[in-house]
Amino acid sequence: MEYKVVVPGELISESRLKLGQHVFIENGKIYAETVGIARTDKGIARVVALQGRYIPKIGDLVIGVVVSEEYSVYAVDVNSFYYSFIPKEEIRVLLRKGNIISAKVSKINEINEISLTNVRVLYGGEILLVEPTKVPRIIGKNASMIKLLQNSTRCSIIVGMNGILWAKGTEQGIELLKKALDKIERESHLGNLTLKIQKMLSEKPSSE
Amino acid sequence: MEKSVYERPDGRKIDELRKIKIVPSVLTRADGSAYIEWGQNKAIVGVFGPREALPQHIQNPTKALVNYVYRMATFSVPERKSAKPGRREIEISKVSGEALESAIFVERFANATIDIYAYLFDSNAGTRCAALTAASVALADAGIPMRDLVPACAVGRANGQLIVDPCKEEEDAEDAVDMPMAILPRNKEVVLLQMDGLLSLEEWKKAFHLGLNGCMQVYEIQKKAIKEKYESIEKEDKKAIEALNEEMECLESEGQNSAEGDYVEG
Repeated sequence: MEYKVVVPGELISESRLKLGQHVFIENGKIYAETVGIARTDKGIARVVALQGRYIPKIGDLVIGVVVSEEYSVYAVDVNSFYYSFIPKEEIRVLLRKGNIISAKVSKINEINEISLTNVRVLYGGEILLVEPTKVPRIIGKNASMIKLLQNSTRCSIIVGMNGILWAKGTEQGIELLKKALDKIERESHLGNLTLKIQKMLSEKPSSE
Repeated sequence: MEKSVYERPDGRKIDELRKIKIVPSVLTRADGSAYIEWGQNKAIVGVFGPREALPQHIQNPTKALVNYVYRMATFSVPERKSAKPGRREIEISKVSGEALESAIFVERFANATIDIYAYLFDSNAGTRCAALTAASVALADAGIPMRDLVPACAVGRANGQLIVDPCKEEEDAEDAVDMPMAILPRNKEVVLLQMDGLLSLEEWKKAFHLGLNGCMQVYEIQKKAIKEKYESIEKEDKKAIEALNEEMECLESEGQNSAEGDYVEG
């Protein structure tokens, strides 16, 4: 299996395959539409995007900021293409402009507008931003990475699939977390990332 | 025709481009960006969006707007230029924006706008091509879905000789013709073609083919610039593929994992 970095418009396959994410078909040939890594296994042609905004999926947990209150809905900025909405009749808590919330994506329409449910207000803590395409690496295989981060920084962390992280902990813990996230983002292509982070986090206290 | 020994002021061959250097991801606050050095031309392009188009009445519910802004710095030309956008800049903004719009999947982002700001800091003929070339790299860098990259290149005539990528000196020749063009390399679709000066039909056909070749050369440079960022990392670490496998598995199991996996209370 070979992995190839492709740019928009680059040919992925000329054979008949199912279309996965970030590809389009023209005259029977399959092309990439974003920068990413092309894969054609399991009969599916797809591109794993390396850059890009959060594309919502039903069931995703996202973190956002309440930006305005309308008559029947709250508008929330979740770092996607549009503001997403929470119908007031569906929630019991009162939200205010500026509240940080975590919620689940319940509905997506054809232009990627989102409705949210399961709203929880997050008090205190800090908001950290990461690339949405790198969120899978931050969670890790079977959530190994996120568990490691939680245990070694002693922060409670919630990862939104939209690339917004909420963390609450001591000042040192947050600092350490920021450094670790930086490293993950920068080296998200390289192998054994969990091990490297583990090493980095265990080294830190002794050096300080 | 090529036998007439035509000397270009900078010693290039007639089908040779100036030196091009493209660096993606140079701005941190923009969604995507690119820096280009094309000979003496220097430009930075920043891409923002897709984001909500405001004021609301400009929104189009069937597609995204592409707002391309081409500006030259006051110090980019020998004589200080007025900072106010002139007729020329507004025209170039319009045609370049339309060229990019044909490459972007605009119909995916209703009511949104994609803002592209191209600023020239130094110029020596062919700035619209340089800015457009960098803009399509910046769009790719922003992860905006596109049908193709958009390489641009100018062809022209100076002293009776058809040339690719004329520099300022050549552009000021007696019989000068300048023809900037941009294509979608996959199907050779022309998305931008302007010309000032006069060419016979025969000459135009030759010029057009020279231009196509020039654009394809630019395309290769664009591709290389984007890929370099990732391939250098791959070379660095042989285990990259292993990591990718891991990432794929994460992506696949994401559906189940994201529900419980990341929602852990400390």
